[in-house]
Amino acid sequence: MNVSNLPELRSIAMQTIDESSGSLVDAAKCVYATPETGFNERKTSHFVQKQLEALGLFVETGIAITGMKAVIKGNNPGPTIGVIAELDALRVPSHPGADDTSGAAHACGHHIQIGALLGVATALVNPILKESLSGNVALILAPAEEFIDIEDRLTKRDNDEIEFLSGKQEMIRLGTFDEVDMAMMVHSSTGYGKAYFSVGGTTNAHVTHQVRYMGKSAHAGGFPYMGINALQAAMLANTAINTQRETFMESQVGRVHGIISNGGTSVNAVPDQVLYEGRIRAGTVDALHSIEEKVIRCYKAGALAMGASVKVGSVAGYHPLTQNTMMEKLFIENAKRIFGQNSIVIEPPDQNYGGSTDMGDLSKIMPVIHPYTRTASGIGHGEDYLIQDYSRAVVSSAKVMASTVLALLIDNAHKAKEITSQFNPDLTPAQYVKSQRERFTTTTYRPE
Amino acid sequence: MIENDVTKTFFASAIDGRVDEIKRISLDILNHPESGYREYRTSKLVADWFRTNGFHVQANIAKTGLVATLDTGKTGPHVAILGELDALVVPRHLYANLETGAAHACGHHAQIGSMLTAAVGILDESVNKTLTGKISFMATPAEEYIELEYRQTLVDNGEIEFFGGKQEFIKRGFFDDVNIAMLTHTGGETPGTLGIGGSNNGMVGKTIRFRGKAAHAGGSPHLGINSLNAAHIALAAIHAQRETFRDSDTVRVHPIITKGGSAVNSVPSDVRLETYVRASNVPAILQTSQKVDRAFRAGALATGATVQITTNPGYLPAKYDDLLTELYRHNAASLIGDDNIIRLNHGTGCTDMGDVSQIVAAIQPSANATSGDAHGIDYVVDNYDLAITKAGKAMGMTVIDLLSKNGEKGKNIFGSFHAPMTIDEYLRRMRSFRSNSTYED
Repeated sequence: MNVSNLPELRSIAMQTIDESSGSLVDAAKCVYATPETGFNERKTSHFVQKQLEALGLFVETGIAITGMKAVIKGNNPGPTIGVIAELDALRVPSHPGADDTSGAAHACGHHIQIGALLGVATALVNPILKESLSGNVALILAPAEEFIDIEDRLTKRDNDEIEFLSGKQEMIRLGTFDEVDMAMMVHSSTGYGKAYFSVGGTTNAHVTHQVRYMGKSAHAGGFPYMGINALQAAMLANTAINTQRETFMESQVGRVHGIISNGGTSVNAVPDQVLYEGRIRAGTVDALHSIEEKVIRCYKAGALAMGASVKVGSVAGYHPLTQNTMMEKLFIENAKRIFGQNSIVIEPPDQNYGGSTDMGDLSKIMPVIHPYTRTASGIGHGEDYLIQDYSRAVVSSAKVMASTVLALLIDNAHKAKEITSQFNPDLTPAQYVKSQRERFTTTTYRPE
Repeated sequence: MIENDVTKTFFASAIDGRVDEIKRISLDILNHPESGYREYRTSKLVADWFRTNGFHVQANIAKTGLVATLDTGKTGPHVAILGELDALVVPRHLYANLETGAAHACGHHAQIGSMLTAAVGILDESVNKTLTGKISFMATPAEEYIELEYRQTLVDNGEIEFFGGKQEFIKRGFFDDVNIAMLTHTGGETPGTLGIGGSNNGMVGKTIRFRGKAAHAGGSPHLGINSLNAAHIALAAIHAQRETFRDSDTVRVHPIITKGGSAVNSVPSDVRLETYVRASNVPAILQTSQKVDRAFRAGALATGATVQITTNPGYLPAKYDDLLTELYRHNAASLIGDDNIIRLNHGTGCTDMGDVSQIVAAIQPSANATSGDAHGIDYVVDNYDLAITKAGKAMGMTVIDLLSKNGEKGKNIFGSFHAPMTIDEYLRRMRSFRSNSTYED
């Protein structure tokens, strides 16, 4: 067995990343300046493709419209470690970095993920390192992590451009992860201070409902008694949902939050078509179902009360995130080694952040970690969410990920193999795809 | 030139000698208020007065109602003059019974006065010898549609079928051979006037019971099903229907929560409401009733509770007869002058005179003799001359016109009256309003 000198390899990697730190930060800032929402990240994707190609990598493009994959092959066979970055921006028109036309903005800091991924790539393409690696590194650029623009994505689904509504969900379906054994990424977060990183915790499962109320239009001044007001139906449903909140257990971390994306067309006509987009989240799939049942009851009640009908389209959302403790342990060791004992905060595994990510979906089929780099100020998804320290966000994240990959794949990849051998997936990719397909349902309720 | 002026002169002078006596009876009733189907003292007082004055009295009709009839012995129309016996329950009213809270906050005590006034005048032999047909004085119970639980027990015991006193009178056949009916209500419009015409809403009454699941409201709210939330949603849903109510239907829906939970630290499982659904016409009542039911069911559906909705027949919309109104107007104007006669608008409250108006030619003029808000704590009669004496005279004089000269005018009026329904049809319709259904998802 070829026993490598890990500290030496690591220091080569760190040195490479330090040397390119300026261009890595510039790359992240460049992505920040061209925010694009999920499945529309064409400029971003093209930019990252050029960067990866400049490192001599072959880039597979057009995966799930804008996604990409490039593989750094180690000289020896072994497991493949996925290093992921998310391409998409949110839509927060009031954010200072927002695109004037689309309102897209990097209010969730995904652009720093791209800088960090390029840092890992820059370090690991080095032939000296590849020589010691038993296995590969798959660099994966995932589209559409933010679960937004539902109507638009459902149109893409109808046009067979996508089947699932998020990037990693699509990539699992398309087999992008078939040759990948475990995956990691570093997301930005607030809490900028002494600690560079946090690890641990979980996120919510979610489901999205496209709730279409169908009433009857009539002149709202002249003949309101001839109409059936679909907006009143939706508002009653919302009131009813709010009364259910007392039945949510704190341990469920239930979240129900909707928007009315079409609340009527003209104010002098009784609204006959109203679209309510509902999002339900909970810490477990069981809790999600329990809350979903109550919420659907409320949608129906709104229709019943007004004599309207309602069509509820369920859109398969995300799974709760389960992070692999062995991978976490390696990430923690490397963070501490590089940035000191206090550089990382460890959250308990049941610390639910309330939000959701499609890394949760991936975590059902392979070991994953989703640590945070504490580098932003403001409120996540808010107009004031800004990266305070690009060096930490991009360069430090790249260093810890690169050294974690090295630790996994050197010495015949015994660490990586240990992790895969002890991992029991909840679902195979095929089972995952089947179950997600089954979550797409449409039911219509017409009170007699 | 006043028609039948000689008779009316005898009629008026017979009354003028007994004004104080009649007023004392009205004040006695004011000071001893009793709510519907409990007017035992009031009923006895009125029955005794009729008996003392030589009338044959049928008493204890629908518990407390009574009829005193004067038969002229000559064939002719049958005219009824009505007065309502019951008080409201308004505990803080000036004349409220401290124990029961009953109070004449709707002026019914003055109706009895105006009815007795007419009786005094017609009792005069110089008057009634000129008349044909029959005159019935009906003191009816329970016009106010209240105390539904109590009345439901009377229904359950087989003592009554309907919540309104005149409805019971109709059912028991007391209107079978009545052709024309009138009653003077007090009112608070332009003081010193008599109001004529107008109309009233009809209604159905509902009792609603949500059944959920009790649980510790702090410890385990997730195990409960909150009936109060179901009611809250239902009320919001009722309000959301309001834009669909047509102006011309004058719809009124006004629920109350009669039980809103038992203990604040327990998820309410048993919540009860009452509501009326009122409108100017029966189709609108039925349509609105459906919308209201839908709203209550939605409350149950949203929360997972069950709901039991019991609907009871209320009152029918009132439509007063034009020819009879015109005859009354002549007589009223001769007493207080043309300028003091006003036309009433559509009233959005309800009365069981509405039911009467669906089967016989009827009027319910208003003696504007009160101050304060109707059904409020300050509603009092402050012009007894108008409310009792003038009102009684105007009705009695109208009866004289109807029944003199072989009852020609009376026959003409009831002959041209097209009853919206027969008594049988009326009873069928009222019974069809009744429903009791439980809804669970």
